[in-house]
Amino acid sequence: MISAGLDSGSATTKAVLLKDGKCIAYSIQPTAFDFISAAEKAYKDVLDQAGIVKSDIDHVYSTGYGRNSIKFADKAISEITAHALGVYHLYPEVNGIIDIGGQDSKVVSVYNGKVVDFLMNDKCAAGTGKFLEYTARALEVPIDDLGSLALASEKPACITSMCTVFAESEVISLRSRGSAKEDIAAGLIESIARRIAVMALQLGIKQNVAFVGGVAKNTGIRAALEKELQVSFYVPPEPQITGALGAALYGIG
Amino acid sequence: MDHLKSIEYLKSSYNKRICQIADERKAGKKLVGTFCLFVPDEIILAAGADRTILCGGRNDTVSIAEQYLPRNICPLVKSSFGSIVNDGCSGVRSCSHFSMVDLIVAENTCDSKKKMYEILASHVPTYIIDLPQRPDSPEALQYFLQELEKFKSRMEQLTGNRITAEQLKKEIRSSNETRKLFHKLYALRKKDPAPISGVDMLTILQKQYFLSPEELKKSLKLLVDEVENVRPEGTHRPRIMISGCPMSAGNTKVPEIIESKGGVIVVEESCTGTRSFWDPVDESKDPMLALAERYIRIPCSCMSPNERRIENILELSRDFKVDGVIYYTLQFCHGYNIEKYKVQQALKKAGIPMLFVETDYSNSDVEQIGLRVDAFMEMLS
Repeated sequence: MISAGLDSGSATTKAVLLKDGKCIAYSIQPTAFDFISAAEKAYKDVLDQAGIVKSDIDHVYSTGYGRNSIKFADKAISEITAHALGVYHLYPEVNGIIDIGGQDSKVVSVYNGKVVDFLMNDKCAAGTGKFLEYTARALEVPIDDLGSLALASEKPACITSMCTVFAESEVISLRSRGSAKEDIAAGLIESIARRIAVMALQLGIKQNVAFVGGVAKNTGIRAALEKELQVSFYVPPEPQITGALGAALYGIG
Repeated sequence: MDHLKSIEYLKSSYNKRICQIADERKAGKKLVGTFCLFVPDEIILAAGADRTILCGGRNDTVSIAEQYLPRNICPLVKSSFGSIVNDGCSGVRSCSHFSMVDLIVAENTCDSKKKMYEILASHVPTYIIDLPQRPDSPEALQYFLQELEKFKSRMEQLTGNRITAEQLKKEIRSSNETRKLFHKLYALRKKDPAPISGVDMLTILQKQYFLSPEELKKSLKLLVDEVENVRPEGTHRPRIMISGCPMSAGNTKVPEIIESKGGVIVVEESCTGTRSFWDPVDESKDPMLALAERYIRIPCSCMSPNERRIENILELSRDFKVDGVIYYTLQFCHGYNIEKYKVQQALKKAGIPMLFVETDYSNSDVEQIGLRVDAFMEMLS
């Protein structure tokens, strides 16, 4: 049996193909404005990689922000359930998941792959990939280098603004006061880490925690979060695809 | 779910009621506007006045209020204020009843309302009932009783009618009949599958403050008769209790999301819900004392301590066989937002899942709330 999972996120669209429970292909594509064509592109990519056609697929399940608009999917599930299933498949012992995506961040408490409770960030971009993207731009640092830059800091700057726009102005005023780039980078990452840690503590997540989503690739954030929560995360080799993986697994039932 | 004729009828009742109010006022009857359950309708009606609700649920009057009020206060307070002071210059039209009141009767509950009333008083004649907020002490009851006596005099002065004990008793009996009808309707909602949707139910919960008492009773009777005969089809859907802030007319966002995602609302622990009718007024006691005793017990989050509310939530979730609670608050409603913590602890202990949704009157967060509700439904099934 072959099933496909599609995760239509705000920044990237992910597709996973599963054959008899094993991942045989995956794809990550930028979402851009037209998220339906991004989903089609990711789907075509995994089919091409596996050398199969649409009719070979038994189920397609969708998740993510654009989940209800992907008409070729058999069913849509929330990314909270999808991440829980995907992470359970990789690490059955995990009982907490932190997912930081482009548009939102979530903390999920799980038991045997089932969601027990969850929290998401409020309506604004605080504590999300977008927050990092904007503030990295203010620092004139590529977002991928933000983490390693922050690791060089000895005295992180204190950034208190939750609002992305205000944080950007805070970065600018710190720069004008002569703060070092690495200290500002570290301050930004700590501010996100604190915010996520508060959500994790509200749910009582203390050990066996997985960190997924695009931001999990950022070593600096990962280190800061691990320090804040005093845990060592389970991070999948490809942390961006656990949602799509979970959707594909949901298809198997 | 079945199409309910009585709900369709209710939805079209606005204009008829406006004409009725206009005729009454032409004939010399006074119209009192209120915001809150703590103001006893019985006293207004016993004075021979009519009453209407001034709580705003529409988003478009919020920006009118922001000319006077800070941004960071709850949308209900802003929408209400904006609807009342609106002069139409911004192109937004308030619903007609907002401009028809002869006297506003407000109450000291939360800080935002209290301070808003001070500004409102310079636009429309406003009378304030003070509310002691430690409801279980005998001193508080005595003080509230005095406040209600003063309010009674103010109503006599407004209408020129004397309020007799007999009149009060008559209005108390009448209000208790309405409360019984609500209980009857809620008892029907204990069935599984539920015979009426929460979105339909919200229509009557919102209209109860707007319709005349006779019209409300008539509508409730029709609705009870209709719902009694509904034979709901389909299987079990997650049974949801809404708990928290009121949903004033114009605001149906969250119930619509919940029911479009496969849940069914079976009970509302809210001012547009059980808080309005749950307790009757004792008909055997002195009417003013009985009113004070009944009204001071309303478990609003402005009260402290407010354990009664938590007990009530637990009792309702058992009685209505609730699968999950959606704790609904309006942004910057500190009382209900802070009380969330204690409610969540109590529900956790009772093994009932809870989802917290904080929102305003805009549609900007419909997708985000939809995702949370989707995940919550998946969690419950």
